[in-house]
Amino acid sequence: MITKKKYSLTWIMALLVIFIWSSAACGQSPDFKENIYDVGKLKPTDSELKVKVGDLAPDFTLPAVRGGEVSLRHYRGKKNVVLSFVPAAWTPVCSDQWPGYNIAKEFFDQSEAILLGITVDNIPTLYAWTNQMCMGGGKLWFPVLSDFYPHGAVAEKYGILRSDGVSERALFVIDKKGIIRYIDVHDINERPRLEVLVNELQKLEN
Amino acid sequence: MNELYQAIEGRKDLKGKMKLIGIGTGNSDFEVDFFRKKYEVPFPLFSDEDYEVHKAIGEVRTPYFIGVRLTGDGKAEVFYSKLGGFSNTNKFLDLMVKSSGL
Repeated sequence: MITKKKYSLTWIMALLVIFIWSSAACGQSPDFKENIYDVGKLKPTDSELKVKVGDLAPDFTLPAVRGGEVSLRHYRGKKNVVLSFVPAAWTPVCSDQWPGYNIAKEFFDQSEAILLGITVDNIPTLYAWTNQMCMGGGKLWFPVLSDFYPHGAVAEKYGILRSDGVSERALFVIDKKGIIRYIDVHDINERPRLEVLVNELQKLEN
Repeated sequence: MNELYQAIEGRKDLKGKMKLIGIGTGNSDFEVDFFRKKYEVPFPLFSDEDYEVHKAIGEVRTPYFIGVRLTGDGKAEVFYSKLGGFSNTNKFLDLMVKSSGL
């Protein structure tokens, strides 16, 4: 048997903190996770894309959580645009993806890009969810838009509305001319890696 | 967490005896490296991209703290395992010291 006296001379102590980079930075409360609905494992993709790289991105106007409306065409000639569709508020992967983008703002700035976050949830739901993302007092720096009514119309226009009424987890990179330069209809169960998007944004700088 | 690291390093009785390690679960090397640089994290951070560590410890929610006593004979004893952060760094550090028996 090892006595306390014996090993007190030799031991060291390691304190491990398990974290998710985005939530750690955002000051996310662990209580937040109590409110996340576990959707289980889903079919990776469940829709048929209606646009392709090189196409003019279909225009849309959607209401924003912060008030007012945002139209894609407003950024034409001014900003590159990243559309981040996520399936639903209060679900596991989505609740980590946007806080990650929130701390990675400099990558978007470097590429003169704006991020538009879109779900098919209504404004009150998105308001509560995005507020809960940053319990430390911070706010998301990018507009969050509601594609709630007509339900999923923008997701449908891009061909990423799933058969159960939520959107795919999809990224579209659109240049200042309004041309789609990158599409990632991601496995809905997984979060896209930041470095892949950063790499695509850097291509726009050249 | 940076404050906790500084508090540990600032105590002569703990320096070299208590180490802090961060594990970014589900995060890539790129993401963890970006996080480390952005927030000037002075202690080692590791990525757990494939959730191997996360699964091994029971798929806990984050942030999650685990205190491990390394006894020098190859054994590692968990003396603290809890979900959630802390608001008072010194109180938390005192708790770790007391719990570990260091």
